[in-house]
Amino acid sequence: MRADIRVESLTHDYDAQVTALRGITTTVRQGERVAVIGPNGAGKTTLVQHFNGLARPTSGRVLVGGMDTAEHSISALAAEVGFVFQNPADQLHARTVAAEVRFGPRNLGHADDVVAAQVAAALAATGLTGLADAHPYHLAPAQRKLVAIASVLAMDTPVVVLDEPTTGQDAFALDVLSAVVEDLAGRGRTVIATTHDMDFCVENFDRVLLLTDGELIADGTPAEVFTDTDPQRLPQLFRLSGELGWGSRPTTVDEFVAGLAAGRAAAPPGCPVSLES
Amino acid sequence: MSAVMFFQDGGSPVHRLNPVTKLALALAVTTTAFAIPVFWAPLLLVLLVLAPAVVVAGVGRTYARLLPLFAAPLVISVFLLQGLFFPEGTTVLAAWGPVAVTAEGLSFAALTSLRLVAMLGAFLFLLLTTHPGALMSAMVERGLSPKTSYVVSATLQIVPAFRTRARNVLRAQQARGLDTTGLRRRVRTLLPLIGPLLLGSLADLEARAVAMEARAFGAPHRRTALLALADSPAQRVARLLMAAVAVAAVVANVVGVAR
Amino acid sequence: MIEFENVGFAYPETAEPALRGIALSVPQGQVCGVVGAGGAGKSTFAAAIAGMVPHVTGGTLTGAVRVAGRSMATTPLAEAVTDVGLVVQDPFNQMSGAKFTVREELAFGLENLGVPRAEMVERIDAVLAELGIAHLADRSPFGLSGGQQQLVAIGAVLVMRPRVVVLDEPTSQLDPASTALVFGALAALRAGGITVVLVEHKVAGLVELADRVVVLADGAIVLDGTPHEVFTDERLPGFGVSPTRYTRAARQAAEHGLWPADRPLPVLFPEAAAGFAALSERSA
Repeated sequence: MRADIRVESLTHDYDAQVTALRGITTTVRQGERVAVIGPNGAGKTTLVQHFNGLARPTSGRVLVGGMDTAEHSISALAAEVGFVFQNPADQLHARTVAAEVRFGPRNLGHADDVVAAQVAAALAATGLTGLADAHPYHLAPAQRKLVAIASVLAMDTPVVVLDEPTTGQDAFALDVLSAVVEDLAGRGRTVIATTHDMDFCVENFDRVLLLTDGELIADGTPAEVFTDTDPQRLPQLFRLSGELGWGSRPTTVDEFVAGLAAGRAAAPPGCPVSLES
Repeated sequence: MSAVMFFQDGGSPVHRLNPVTKLALALAVTTTAFAIPVFWAPLLLVLLVLAPAVVVAGVGRTYARLLPLFAAPLVISVFLLQGLFFPEGTTVLAAWGPVAVTAEGLSFAALTSLRLVAMLGAFLFLLLTTHPGALMSAMVERGLSPKTSYVVSATLQIVPAFRTRARNVLRAQQARGLDTTGLRRRVRTLLPLIGPLLLGSLADLEARAVAMEARAFGAPHRRTALLALADSPAQRVARLLMAAVAVAAVVANVVGVAR
Repeated sequence: MIEFENVGFAYPETAEPALRGIALSVPQGQVCGVVGAGGAGKSTFAAAIAGMVPHVTGGTLTGAVRVAGRSMATTPLAEAVTDVGLVVQDPFNQMSGAKFTVREELAFGLENLGVPRAEMVERIDAVLAELGIAHLADRSPFGLSGGQQQLVAIGAVLVMRPRVVVLDEPTSQLDPASTALVFGALAALRAGGITVVLVEHKVAGLVELADRVVVLADGAIVLDGTPHEVFTDERLPGFGVSPTRYTRAARQAAEHGLWPADRPLPVLFPEAAAGFAALSERSA
């Protein structure tokens, strides 16, 4: 199972006046964890919608596992790329959470026992096992969003795209999301997410694409991408370690505290704490 | 993306007219076209009134494209029905069993078609040159209830918004492997598509009701309007004149002068 | 300004109450932040201040909600809305649907209140500038992105200049720059003596803006204090609210003896930077 995503000189115009993407070229390899960030209207959603044919290139092309997305229907690409919409209202329709989560893998034609196992795994991963018989519309919006995620996880696709999964989510759901990303990556799946949450971004993703006004202006590790940004918009631990003069950028609280412990022990008196990783 | 798409923005003198003046024109043209029972009446109205107005407004191209689009289905069905089945037809031109093409039938169909074209043309002119918001403001200014105005405007706006949502719903299900090719499949796929739309709309209704109340929609104050509507003595006179022409046409019809 | 007297509420046809035993008093000019897990009752709480619960939603309300001394249960909504402005959670639903441009959308509430045209224009221009959306003035409200709609929805309420403004997660879809604009607009309200209730997850904005923060869990108030007290409370994660990385880093450092026990935990960057910098100096 390899579904590398190759984006070649991708341009997308909404109409004659509005250009959403301008000449994007990049490759996402199978198993990468990629966050797509940028201001409102930068083209984040439009970019990721090209990965399963929801959006079609105006010029340039997008290849998923060698398939040109322009030549395949959305439903054909669904076996390669699972896509979680930003608004769960767009995708939830069944009377129970379990039925909702079953819908995708059934459409993909998996055997019944495989479907059952995938549904159970997706519900467990999102902490919804106890709500399997609940009506999705009786759940709080934050939980509905998790149902939408479970319904895509159950399809067990090589690539999973999450469009703004952190929007409006509480700390419980963010922990679930982190675990989901970790689990997918552990099983060799590609995870791509758009987000405004910079802390969530550096904690869970090892590559960041920064879009501004439809252009890809940075593409690299979090430490490479978050450099001369406005300090207000830096991930918190990046800003803090930068202020403390560290040479490295911890992405998690654990890493920060480990660096603190190591740095304290190692730092010569009078010198700023530094740590090379 | 919405009914606004009919509206062609522009700074022409026609655009600057008070919406009510253009509405009065549309109504007067329609009334006169239907009141005078000779085919040249609607024809002259289209050629001598609407055509110049459209040209001055600078929307001629769109007008020439849209008018046939709307008129053709009506004209064709009128000719099929009246041309073939006109009950008072005596001058038979051709006949197949019970179906007969009569001269009277064709003449009646031509008159009716021209009337419909005049009516469609008059309202298309109104829509192309008048911002729907301005029209509604003007109507409210003249005593239309704000609730009625809201329903009309909201329908014009929200229907396309729901169409967008319906498209999203369809694509979200396709993204989960739903195959929508083939007729039988299409029927089977209806449920997953309608469900979220209806549930989403119901959930929206209450939230929207809350939001509208929060924006003082139920407030008992006398309302004001943001859009300032130009009006002038000349336009008032013009509206009176148009009303007079329409009334005269109706009277002529009733009295039988024009027969 | 806002009084909750032992308020309980259940939506129609539901067994579980959405609010229980809420007792709270927000004086005029105070900015009160509201945080909590999804489903904790934050939106219901917000709607109750504006009288939408129970006037529009139905259901059973016990106890009393008073704004400016008037009971919201008996005040007709049409009168209440001039006191309390409510920004609902989904900006799509805040759009009247009857207006064809953003400028007209912003005028909707003012037209309903009978504000004279010249004043309307002035107020709308001010809000467009304040929220950085002047370039959207002639666009259709339904042709905007979610984030842009969110700014219009906020503007549509601010333009009405109510004495109490209640906002339900107004920046959820906004990038940091637009979020800063919204918080700037709220700071201006605060300076003008407006009472603000803000349901919001973004801690940094709340700490700088709010006078107090309440935490809701299962429809009840479980924490109530200054932003610093609430966001350094160790029970916070258990209520589904995430402390900042600064607080978490310091707390974990304290567990390893790396942050002095007598130093308060930091919430925002300056305290964290000062605290950790002092730490490395002390080790010197």
